[in-house]
Amino acid sequence: MAQSSHEPNLNADLKQTYDAVIVGSGAAGGMAAHVLTSHGLKVLLLEAGKKLPIEKELKSMQWPYDHPRRGKMPADDHALTLNEYTVRPRPYAQGMRYRHVFSYVQGWSGSDYSKNIVVDEKDHPYTGTDYAWVRARLLGGKTAIWGRLALRLSDYDFKAASRDGFGEDWPISYKDIEPYYDRVDTYLGISGLKEGLPQLPDSLFQRPNRLTKSEIMLRASLEKNGRLLTPYRAGVTTDGLKHNKYRSKCFGRGACTRRIGGCDIHAAFDSPTGLIYPAMDTGNLTLRTNATVYEVTVDKNSGQASGVSFIDTDTGQTYHAKGRAVILGASTLETARLLLLSKSPQHPGGLGNSSGHVGHNFCEHLMGPSVTGIVKDMIGKPHTLDDGRPGGFYLPRFRNLASKNPNFLRGYGFEGEGGMRMFPGHALSTPGYGKDFKKQVRDYAGAFISMGGFGEVLPRYENYVEIDPDRKDRWGIPVLRFHIAFGDNEKKMAQDMGDQAQEMFENAGIQVIGVDRKLLTPGWSIHELGTSRMGNDPKKSVVNQFQQCHDVKNLLVVDGSTHVSASCQNPTWTIMALAWRSCDNLADQLRKGEI
Amino acid sequence: MAAELGRRDLIKLAAAAVAVKPGRAAGKPEFFTPQEYALVDDLSEMVIPADEKSGGAKAARVVDYIDHNLAEAFEQEERDHFREGLRVFLDTPAAERPALLARAASNEKQPHRPEERFFRLLKQYTIQGYYTSKIGIHDDMEYKGNVYQTGDYAGYLPGDKTGHDA
Repeated sequence: MAQSSHEPNLNADLKQTYDAVIVGSGAAGGMAAHVLTSHGLKVLLLEAGKKLPIEKELKSMQWPYDHPRRGKMPADDHALTLNEYTVRPRPYAQGMRYRHVFSYVQGWSGSDYSKNIVVDEKDHPYTGTDYAWVRARLLGGKTAIWGRLALRLSDYDFKAASRDGFGEDWPISYKDIEPYYDRVDTYLGISGLKEGLPQLPDSLFQRPNRLTKSEIMLRASLEKNGRLLTPYRAGVTTDGLKHNKYRSKCFGRGACTRRIGGCDIHAAFDSPTGLIYPAMDTGNLTLRTNATVYEVTVDKNSGQASGVSFIDTDTGQTYHAKGRAVILGASTLETARLLLLSKSPQHPGGLGNSSGHVGHNFCEHLMGPSVTGIVKDMIGKPHTLDDGRPGGFYLPRFRNLASKNPNFLRGYGFEGEGGMRMFPGHALSTPGYGKDFKKQVRDYAGAFISMGGFGEVLPRYENYVEIDPDRKDRWGIPVLRFHIAFGDNEKKMAQDMGDQAQEMFENAGIQVIGVDRKLLTPGWSIHELGTSRMGNDPKKSVVNQFQQCHDVKNLLVVDGSTHVSASCQNPTWTIMALAWRSCDNLADQLRKGEI
Repeated sequence: MAAELGRRDLIKLAAAAVAVKPGRAAGKPEFFTPQEYALVDDLSEMVIPADEKSGGAKAARVVDYIDHNLAEAFEQEERDHFREGLRVFLDTPAAERPALLARAASNEKQPHRPEERFFRLLKQYTIQGYYTSKIGIHDDMEYKGNVYQTGDYAGYLPGDKTGHDA
């Protein structure tokens, strides 16, 4: 791999006015940096976190026995548990004796490989209703550990309101975004199998990941019932990318599925190697890390965005950066927070908030319903290499397409996997001990198959975040207060997800050993969306179809906060396709002097 | 180049890394007394014994994993619970310990008595320690992954014969 010489510049020139100042270096901000610099524009990219030596953090191939704690983080660090998200007072880390407190995503006893990637809850408090908020403040944001499932949305999503009467349509249709999905596929690489589904359009795929025997069997059974199981559509380059020297093709090591995520050869997309380093190579990008933006400033006369104020997270010193345009890609909820914090005489309710919709219309993917079963034919068979891939399978949405479900709107899909893994988790629930126990653990190791659902949470005005009037973070910046709860539609959908999951497994002859119908804490999917939605009507939306604020033309919001509805399909690829489209439009407007 | 490394090379490298790693000598407990250490070693082997396929918990040095975990544990309670249950075994003559273990294991879903709670902790630790060890991963589970697949990926595409019914 090419050694990167892409160090951030902590002394970035702040006297000049950049063509654009971007806030956030994840999928959204990284894409904005790529597109705008490729148009020859001079761009300043601000990231709140540090640049980590990520390959050293991830150590993708390290065996458990070569780690002093078998991969677990130090005992005086703590990862929040599901129970704690419900019972602990807010902020969650308040009063905990641990040295650091991390979000649940750290998994079983906490992972030593990602503890520096997610934020310390002690520094980053929030209040309000139950919410599992996973944040990654580092160069690349959550793309450093994302789940890699890269799906397109369709007009079942963009025109969902017209179909079922709930909420608003998106101001775009599939044909508007399709060319940009194509560009994202080609530039970043995606693996998958063409299936020709209208609700889940195909991408321009590189070679697919493969299925295990039990998954092939489940697919065959589903096909008889008009449903489908397809290899995980992964935002991973399986054939390599000739135009990107920072990324290797995928060698099926499976490190990304055994851990929280992350890829030290960058076959899985991450924003730094996929977007930011190439953008820096154009000579048009200045990268400033450790820069937490706390306000988008406006021109006193025009009310247009003039730049951003930020605080250096190490020194506490504050700075101002100037731009002809300001682009927010701080992540859904951080972007809403920043807009609400940016109050001025021209924008008393927060920037871009004349509609009163900033922070509202939150949506996401519900999680919890799942099924686990045993494929009897696989018991006692020789163990095969089953987990050398960026994901198992995806079972696309089948609800509320041709026919209408009487109990709930919209749909859900499942992610799952069958076969052998490095650690036999079933040992912990296998009764007994001794030789028989040991043999049973061994015999059953390749026989398990499971899947968990991701369901569309309806965007409702009543689900919102606001600025907490009292609480501040470590840097003195007011924090978010949550007002988010699942509604009747989500509860009924979850019931159906569990029922259908069980039925599909049973129809395939899989012995079901566990079904869950309970909803996990809001936020669990890490697919937070909405809070600055797109639309044609400035009274009901925050940005237009090119993600420009209705109120402030030179302010773009390019992250998931602009999504009008959640779909049930994972958002990252759509975030990047939209950002590409919007930044093309912005570059055009800047060139024409319209901004 | 890393990509050219096969699994065998990686295991060799890993073995070399372990060989030079400074650490305490085996048999020198951080937390357990010598008697406790020897007993936990025996008990872990009863949970996951050697068989015709692979070595057991003793060979995998599960006792060292448990000892280190307890030495490091953030909550004193964790150490106390383990020791409390272990004492019941220490106070039981060696010949009667297998029967005691069987009784302690009979209620593993809802353990109440100290030795029952102890069994659950012991089993959980032994599973975690054993199946993350070299013996557990490579000899017993014959895990095939964590390797560079330089050609086709393992597995099947729809339409492939899986030999599932073979």
